[in-house]
Amino acid sequence: MIGMPASRTWNRIFVALAMAVIAYAVLAPLSSLDVLQSLGMPLLTDKLWFRLATITAMFVVMASAWNIIGGLTGYAAFGNVAFFGIGAYTVGMLITKARWPFLLALPLAPAAAAVFAVLIGLPLLRLRGHYFAVASLGVGVAVGELVQNVDFRGEPLFGGASGLFLPILAVPNRDLYFFYLMLAAAAVSIGVTWAVLRSRFGYGLIAIRENEEAAAVIGVNTTAYKVAAFALAAALTGLAGGVFAQWNVFIDQENSFPIGYNVEMILMALLGGTGTVFGPAAGAVVLQLLIQFLSGSLPITLQIPFVPDDAMPVLAQVVLGVLLTLVVVFAPRGVIDFFGGRSALSIAYLRRSLRETSI
Amino acid sequence: MDPQLELKNVTKRFGGVAAVDGVTFAIGKGEILGVIGPNGAGKTTLLNCISGVYRLDDGDVRWQGASIAGLAPFRVARLGIGRTFQIVKPFTSMTVRENVVAGALFGSDEERPRLGAAFGRADSVLELVGLRSKADLPVSALTIPDRKRLEVARAVATRPKLLLLDEVMAGLNSVEIDDALEMVRAVHESGVTVVLIEHVMRVIVGVCARVVVLDVGRVLADGPPDVVLRDERVIQAYLGERYARRLRGS
Repeated sequence: MIGMPASRTWNRIFVALAMAVIAYAVLAPLSSLDVLQSLGMPLLTDKLWFRLATITAMFVVMASAWNIIGGLTGYAAFGNVAFFGIGAYTVGMLITKARWPFLLALPLAPAAAAVFAVLIGLPLLRLRGHYFAVASLGVGVAVGELVQNVDFRGEPLFGGASGLFLPILAVPNRDLYFFYLMLAAAAVSIGVTWAVLRSRFGYGLIAIRENEEAAAVIGVNTTAYKVAAFALAAALTGLAGGVFAQWNVFIDQENSFPIGYNVEMILMALLGGTGTVFGPAAGAVVLQLLIQFLSGSLPITLQIPFVPDDAMPVLAQVVLGVLLTLVVVFAPRGVIDFFGGRSALSIAYLRRSLRETSI
Repeated sequence: MDPQLELKNVTKRFGGVAAVDGVTFAIGKGEILGVIGPNGAGKTTLLNCISGVYRLDDGDVRWQGASIAGLAPFRVARLGIGRTFQIVKPFTSMTVRENVVAGALFGSDEERPRLGAAFGRADSVLELVGLRSKADLPVSALTIPDRKRLEVARAVATRPKLLLLDEVMAGLNSVEIDDALEMVRAVHESGVTVVLIEHVMRVIVGVCARVVVLDVGRVLADGPPDVVLRDERVIQAYLGERYARRLRGS
């Protein structure tokens, strides 16, 4: 692991907690929630539980993938949703137009996204800082528009505004199937990050993030490394998109290229802690649950006096905005900094962070 | 001595100003060469021309007989030419040891170590530069002289055949300079050709058998330090014409 040594006790506690959450996520659907019901916990209908858990796993993939280019390499990519959409449409096109089976089409989703990342990465990764951020945002928007509007012989090539309908996959328990598939993608994303941080490649990426000129003069092929990191992030994001396409059955520009995802995956990584293995995943889980809770999608809803129910989604956005501003200002290294024994949450910590983040 | 690095008419212009103007000299294998000159003489620009940070406007840089002009900095590093920066550029989120591990993992193409071996290599380099006891500290805990040591350690870890040190003594007090000189000697004795770019004359006299003096981008003198430092043109460039006249006794 590249970074400061962490205390063993806290590491163990953190790992144990994470294991418990993962075990719950994996085993809960198998029990049909009978156990929860008997314990008198708030009951989620199965459908809702699976939808929420699968979406959360999907964001774990996207936040972890963004972390590889944004957190480890230090290039704030704002257009990663393009890779999600490319993954979704690769699977969608191969299944609807070429009649490929889903599991054969799925590996091509990360491949297509990675190839696209290499093509746009070669010119874009020459830009630094906010220039790269804005340029990548432009690509993210443009790809979605192209997919919706490109015609071939008078017909929309990718389904146009009416999108693509995929045949429903014939598997015994679809909800469970897609939840485990997305969970596997999340595990792969975290595993890849873990492996990268223990490799020559990881040292090269962090060297680039810390000082690109110094990285070059110790012999890091900075262009190749940046493009490889971008392609790796794209492949993982594309994989999530590919699973999403078959899971959701219907894809169009709106659900495959949502501009909001660009911001959400970055906020999740920031909230959890960029550059770490588990931070973005933790951020994705916390933020996704918070979003669902505040927007009233969970069975446990919030009743605030004088706030009508239909104003809750708006209030949710405000709360999220305020929360994220506080995190960026007071805990720039993410919430994960409080675990692993690196720092304790205290007034002194908040004051130090404030000094670091202000000019 | 074999020429390891040859500079032939190396020229770099910024707009109309030639920061390095037709510099020609060679560095022999195993040498420890000093490059000195007043502010703005083109010392750092010359170093940037060698390490590939700048493209030459004219001339050639030859490494072991082959031209390396126009190569990207990472390719120059992989040939075995290491360098430091005058303003240190550590990887601040890494520990001292990890900074040096990063150097060991990359650098020269020959004998690239795996991750485990890189840690071993890093520790022996830290021993060499005297930072072994601070290996686990974050960079932010290091003093200025130690940061300069770390800059050297990271470059040494890349297994260079030639090491270009850009003002590693600048800003140090005389005790610290003696320690740093000791470190440079140790690095040189480990079998590395060293080019010391310095502003401070005393440093050069202490360790270098040969000195190249630059002024306004040109080579003013080239030879043993005791001869070069008595050269009237050198004194004039450093201390001004009036002082040179006074020395002449006129």
